Amino acid sequence: MRKVAIVGAGQSRYGEFPEKGIKELFFDAYKDMVASVDKGLDPRLIESAYIGNLGSGGFQLGNMSALVSEYVGLPHINTMRIENACASGGYALVAAVMDVLSGVHKVALAGGVEKMTDVSGTKQKYWLGVSGDTEYERLAGTTFSGLYALIARRHMHEFGTKREHLSMVAVKNHKNGAQNPKAQFQREITLEQALKGPIVAAPLNLFDCCSTTDGASAVLVCDADIARQFTDTPVYVAGFGTASDYLAIHDRASTVTLEGTRRASQQAYKMAGLTPNDIHVAEVHDCFTIAELLAYEDLGFCEKGKAGPFIEEGHTQIGGDRPVNPSGGLKSKGHPIGSTGTGQAYEMFNQLRGTVQKPPRQVKGAELGLIHNVGGSGGTVSVTIMRR
Amino acid sequence: MAHVSVPLYWRTLPQRYRLVGQKCKKCGSVNFPPKGVCRYCSASSEFEEVQLSGRGKVHTFVLISAGGAPPEFAEQEKAGGQYPVAIVQLEEGPKVIGQIADVDPKEVKIDMPVTTELRKIYTEEDVIRYGFKFVPATEGR
Repeated sequence: MRKVAIVGAGQSRYGEFPEKGIKELFFDAYKDMVASVDKGLDPRLIESAYIGNLGSGGFQLGNMSALVSEYVGLPHINTMRIENACASGGYALVAAVMDVLSGVHKVALAGGVEKMTDVSGTKQKYWLGVSGDTEYERLAGTTFSGLYALIARRHMHEFGTKREHLSMVAVKNHKNGAQNPKAQFQREITLEQALKGPIVAAPLNLFDCCSTTDGASAVLVCDADIARQFTDTPVYVAGFGTASDYLAIHDRASTVTLEGTRRASQQAYKMAGLTPNDIHVAEVHDCFTIAELLAYEDLGFCEKGKAGPFIEEGHTQIGGDRPVNPSGGLKSKGHPIGSTGTGQAYEMFNQLRGTVQKPPRQVKGAELGLIHNVGGSGGTVSVTIMRR
Repeated sequence: MAHVSVPLYWRTLPQRYRLVGQKCKKCGSVNFPPKGVCRYCSASSEFEEVQLSGRGKVHTFVLISAGGAPPEFAEQEKAGGQYPVAIVQLEEGPKVIGQIADVDPKEVKIDMPVTTELRKIYTEEDVIRYGFKFVPATEGR
């Protein structure tokens, strides 16, 4: 069977950039990707581009993929916008991988971009809070913080998960993000700070929530047969999976499981011939601290209900036996919706090649990495496993 | 700007005003809110209408503060402080999300019995939207 390799990856800085729109942000990521291709890239080889994006900053809602593609010098290719809320980037990567696997194209770009800070806080909540169920969840007076708080409260009730366990996720990810020159918040926080943040949607406080971010990322995938023309150290796509779920949490059989994560990861493990215990490092979707705890369980890193003790015991720290979110995660690195999934792929490409920018963040000897991207409160999920 | 237009809201009035659910003719399960295909057996789209009692128990809940309130509910939060939103397990089987009114947020607990009343939900396009909210179940209601 045909195999797919990743031979280049780039990311813009994540943060707030008044001087840049989606075109400029995407170009930053694209240039960074081109620079990462060891033996150089002739852009004319790129035949396809899949661009993850949710709202184009409320600016170019139609045909945005053609716009950002032509801006970076790719005016006449197979390009399309992929929208699956916060999982848009992860699905863009899967789309590019499937394109190359199909044999239709040999070299494809997977990218993502989001410009979130151009819109007022009020408009953001209209624009972003509508990837959950609009008719019932939204009209009950919730945005995503409220929805994840419903999950967190139930998780605490069923499994005894503590408020401190949630905050430990924030502390760990800020510690990692402090070492990431491209992260939005490059500073550590203490457990006490994380516990005492202003309440947003109890039991979640400000330090349980990711932020509003501008940013872009780009990943170059190709048929593994031609990978060596780009680099001697490609990273291979070992497996992938995607699965959806009921949009409204109240329709789900379980409030404390993201069935999309469970199913998507099982597909990916099966395709790769691996089990959760084989994974050396993971980038998971921690839009809220509870989301990272759910990911530990639903990806199979620990048993259902045991995520609290799992983080407390330090397994997911860099230096632990299963480091999670060495980039700082969405929490500290930032969450530019459409870019998040391919941004995770950028981090994993560097982790597996031993090329992260600051050594303390490098997971030593990692050969197998998993990235996990969630749309909304779990309505869509993608998982990709990468192998050095 | 994403919003729920008046026509979109109108289409859900049987659910919001009268708690009209669907009983699956094949497996007998009750769907609420409605689905195209039964959410429980995935094998039938034949339903009979049933009116739910509105009674149930709190499955989980959140207390929404200013930072967590959507703009159309910001005024409510500003006037009354944090408000509780719950997923309630209805006695007919389905779970559904809604606000809990007439309660001190500190008193809300998982498994607390609640029932529904028709209340003002919010205002958009200058049209007041009414629908069900949960209230603590007490003797007589």
